[in-house]
Amino acid sequence: MLSFQSSKNVLSLTEDLLVRIYELLAAESDRKSFRLVCREFRRIDSLTRRHLRVIRIEFLPILLRKYPRLQSLDLSACPRIDDGVVSLLLTRVGPGSNSPSLGHWAWGLKSLVLSRATGLRFSGLEMLTRACPCLESVDVSYCCGFGDREAAALSSAVGLRELNMDKCLQLTDVGLAKIAVGCSKLEKLSLKWCMEITDLGIDLLCKKCVDLKYLDVSYLKVTNESLHSIASLLKLEVLGLMACPLIDDVGLQFIERGCPSLKVIDVSRCEGVSSSGLIYVVRGHRNLLELNAGYCLSELSTALLHQMKNLNHLEVIRIDGARISETSFQVISANCKSLVEIGLSKCVGVTNMGIMRLVSACINLRVLNLTCCHSITDTAISAIAYSCRSLVCLKVESCNMITEKGLCQLGSFCLLLEEIDLTDCCGVNDKGLEYLSRCSELSCLKLGLCTNISNKGLSYIGSNCLKIHELDLYRCTDIGDDGLEALSNGCKKLRKLNLSYCNAVSDRGLAYIGRLEELSDLEMRALHKITGVGLEAVAVGCKKLADLDMKHCEKVGDSGFWALAYYSKNLRQINLSYCGISDMALCMVMGNLSRLQEAKLVHLSNSTVEGVELALRACCARIKKVKLFAPLRFMLSSEILEILHARGCIIRWD
Amino acid sequence: MSSGILEVPKGASFTKFNTQHQQKWEDPSSTSDYSTRIEPPFQAFNQTSQTQSLLLCNNQIKVPMQDGSVNDLLQASKIQDWDPSAMLNNLSFLGQKIHQLQDLVYLIIGRKGQVLGRPDELLVQQQQLVTADLTSIIVQLISTAGGLLPSVKQTLSAATTSLGQCGEFGGVVFPSSAQGLNDGVQPQNAGGSKVSEPPNSVDITSNNGNEQSNHIIEEHELKDEEDAEEGENLLPGTYEILQLEKEEILAPHTHFCTICGKGFKRDANLRMHMRGHGDEYKTPGALAKPTKESSSEPTIIKRYSCPYAGCKRNKDHKKFQPLKTILCVKNHYKRTHCDKSYICSRCNTKKFSVIADLKTHEKHCGKDKWLCSCGTTFSRKDKLFGHITLFQGHTPAIPSDEIKAAPAGTSDGATNKVGSVNFNLSYVSSESEVQSSSMDIKGGIDDAVGYFSPLSFDTCNFGGFHEFPRPPFDDSESSFAFLLSRSCNYSQKSGEE
Repeated sequence: MLSFQSSKNVLSLTEDLLVRIYELLAAESDRKSFRLVCREFRRIDSLTRRHLRVIRIEFLPILLRKYPRLQSLDLSACPRIDDGVVSLLLTRVGPGSNSPSLGHWAWGLKSLVLSRATGLRFSGLEMLTRACPCLESVDVSYCCGFGDREAAALSSAVGLRELNMDKCLQLTDVGLAKIAVGCSKLEKLSLKWCMEITDLGIDLLCKKCVDLKYLDVSYLKVTNESLHSIASLLKLEVLGLMACPLIDDVGLQFIERGCPSLKVIDVSRCEGVSSSGLIYVVRGHRNLLELNAGYCLSELSTALLHQMKNLNHLEVIRIDGARISETSFQVISANCKSLVEIGLSKCVGVTNMGIMRLVSACINLRVLNLTCCHSITDTAISAIAYSCRSLVCLKVESCNMITEKGLCQLGSFCLLLEEIDLTDCCGVNDKGLEYLSRCSELSCLKLGLCTNISNKGLSYIGSNCLKIHELDLYRCTDIGDDGLEALSNGCKKLRKLNLSYCNAVSDRGLAYIGRLEELSDLEMRALHKITGVGLEAVAVGCKKLADLDMKHCEKVGDSGFWALAYYSKNLRQINLSYCGISDMALCMVMGNLSRLQEAKLVHLSNSTVEGVELALRACCARIKKVKLFAPLRFMLSSEILEILHARGCIIRWD
Repeated sequence: MSSGILEVPKGASFTKFNTQHQQKWEDPSSTSDYSTRIEPPFQAFNQTSQTQSLLLCNNQIKVPMQDGSVNDLLQASKIQDWDPSAMLNNLSFLGQKIHQLQDLVYLIIGRKGQVLGRPDELLVQQQQLVTADLTSIIVQLISTAGGLLPSVKQTLSAATTSLGQCGEFGGVVFPSSAQGLNDGVQPQNAGGSKVSEPPNSVDITSNNGNEQSNHIIEEHELKDEEDAEEGENLLPGTYEILQLEKEEILAPHTHFCTICGKGFKRDANLRMHMRGHGDEYKTPGALAKPTKESSSEPTIIKRYSCPYAGCKRNKDHKKFQPLKTILCVKNHYKRTHCDKSYICSRCNTKKFSVIADLKTHEKHCGKDKWLCSCGTTFSRKDKLFGHITLFQGHTPAIPSDEIKAAPAGTSDGATNKVGSVNFNLSYVSSESEVQSSSMDIKGGIDDAVGYFSPLSFDTCNFGGFHEFPRPPFDDSESSFAFLLSRSCNYSQKSGEE
């Protein structure tokens, strides 16, 4: 009676109220629970859902029919999508075919992520752009086959505002010209690693797409000519020039006079850029918010510092690898009071005194990168902790002099800390971890090579830092099964775990790992104690496991691999090198794991050539990248190699 | 020869010409005969016009009759290769026109018999009409002859100057409206009446079907500007102006042995040569490079003037721009005032007067064609991108797109052209003995190949082809017709398909 009453109450809510409630649910898991309540709720979910990220392409037709109001579709997790699939989706959605109009789902689509969809060519893209008239954002990054004809197909999406073409290796100026002419409303464009693009293409782009706000030409072989063209973009706010080897100070002079709206500039790793180039940029843009100049300055010169005095709004500065003096910190802290992030990775001359001067005024710092600043001690860490109460991320990799005292200060004052990198800080011990565990917001903790921590320290983390989702215990040799038990009891949200070379871990420890349902990424190289039993526990428990590296786990037998093949349906990458997997198990793993994209299969002591051949045949339709033992090149049949090649699979011979 | 030129503009020569024509046309068998006989005066005509043509290019109409250099030029210039098939084509068109004129004259004669008594205004008017019509025919004939020469531009100017001369010497006022005449004649006539305005020269040529001439003029001007030393602003009088004679400019050698007269390009070579004439030339002093005058007195800056009257580089020009070196003079003179006798062997369309230009062109000729969606091709990527920047909506064409689109959209002409090329080539190879026996005819075939080569399907070329109606070529009596008849027939077919 009561249950009836309550259910009636819930059902009596009108649809719009239910929608309001639904929209308040932020986490994906909560939404999942919501739609599992009843049919009505599921209907609300399907009516209001705007974003869909598809993991398995098999379900795509059904999902598209279920969610008619999609605005954003992410297909980056199904790289198997190709022209045939697209034409199928657009002509007949679902087996019932009772949907009123064909390809209806595409009408309202605004954002499409096709990252790594190497099978998608111009005909498929042409169909997609024709079917999606409202398309505003497309991501085709890492589509290695994306070339000029694909760009031409995409250029018919006239409303396009955002386009990511990172690592479209075949794209040339001609394709870029197609995009520039066709999609003149572009506001955001990323062209990282499009190595064929030259000044001509950039020049045309800047003349045709005058609304560009974001442009990333990192890693391109463009010259100062391009900067001359870019300088004419009146609305440009973000400019990425990372590792452009042909750009130098003369080019930055153009930027000084142009780009009046510039807020963010990244010239890191540009070999030709020096302090004087940055002086031009800083002089021309007083309102700069972010300056990224890592590994291009040999030192922070006084002239540049003098100019930086005017950057009162600067929020982020990264000058990794530069030489910096204590007085420089003084100048920065005195003038750039709104600094939120500072990157000093591998800087020479970073001292306790310098850091203390810096944080004395920059109290809003949230991100601080002091990687490899070896002379930093607890004094500096204490000063940071005391001044920067809103610190979120601290990277102090290989700062050996940090001890539990520093961590104590951090644990006392920086309660918002979410990420800390203590890799290779041998001063960190169990006591330090106890202090650190007071930072209950911690989500990412890196303790690789911290050989002084043990199960006891890990238990503090496991009991207090419940939000941790990434933990690196690489070569923490004292960590054993008990530590993992504590971890699995507390850190239920763990997604990424590195246990490589933690030799003390045995099957019992892996059984605890199997309790971590959210775990998707597990690296456990060279765990000599584990056997098939442990692997089976992981395979059964960690349903979301996508990336498994078990190189040199020699004792794992076939029972473990059988379990892997049977349970780990979401596995995308696997490293089985130096494992004792048999032919049969290998075929099962490679053939049964339908999402597998990348496999490393070097030195399989119990496998034969025929076994590898069969395994490759079993997965040749979907595998994208495979690493094989070099002599196999001449032993495998040429047929399978040709098939793999034709399917766009990259083979690495080792 | 020069007397021949001077004769043409006179009224008397016109009538003579006219009667000549009439006689010729009375026996219709001898078309070829006609062309061969007419030819010599035309060539002379053409040569004169060469000198005058450039005046027109520089927007000055002034007929330099007093210039003695005309004769020299005539001697210096060579007889050009020409394409007999195209010539014949145009001639037959002109033949029709002449027939029409013939009818008109018959009519006048008939009327004369009727109204013997009074030589009225009508007769004068008709006479003028005939004269004007004839003038236009001459103009067309000249342009026909000139069109076969390497430089089409000269044709254009030949046409206009001849008109100008007609106007001046004949003292004829052309009737501004020529309703009595037939359609094809009208435009030329209109052009002739306004001969003093330079833009009309362009009109006339376009009417003649030589759209190319416009391009060439532009090209010339461009190159002139390239030669110009932009940074330099020497005040008049601050430098010495030297003007070389045309022979000197065109002479292959500039250093001559005083003993045997042998010519050399370089002084150093001459000095080496002189050693053979005696021991006195073998001394280190004689062999050494003659040192420049001692730099004690300030050297006067030397600048050069082009000997061509009316040229912008001529010292008498209002906006005279001097040339910097002798090399500049040579290149300028050859590019601007000479025939373009070097033809690119790859594309068979581009012609140059300076061999270095040809070599530069040949380096790039036939390389990657950068194609725009509008069909324009560019030899260089940056030029294509410049074009795309300029024109709204144009995009670079992706080659594979074009292959796909070809069967649907592009002209069948292109494929036909390729076919004709193949045919012509095979024809040449199969009758190689014939080819070797007459070299100039082979040139003609080559020209035809160029005409149809897929590289040069510019609209103007192809359009020009259609301009003149082609009667079937069946005159086997002419000296060269039997050799060429096949290729001509073929190309005619391909044009019609």
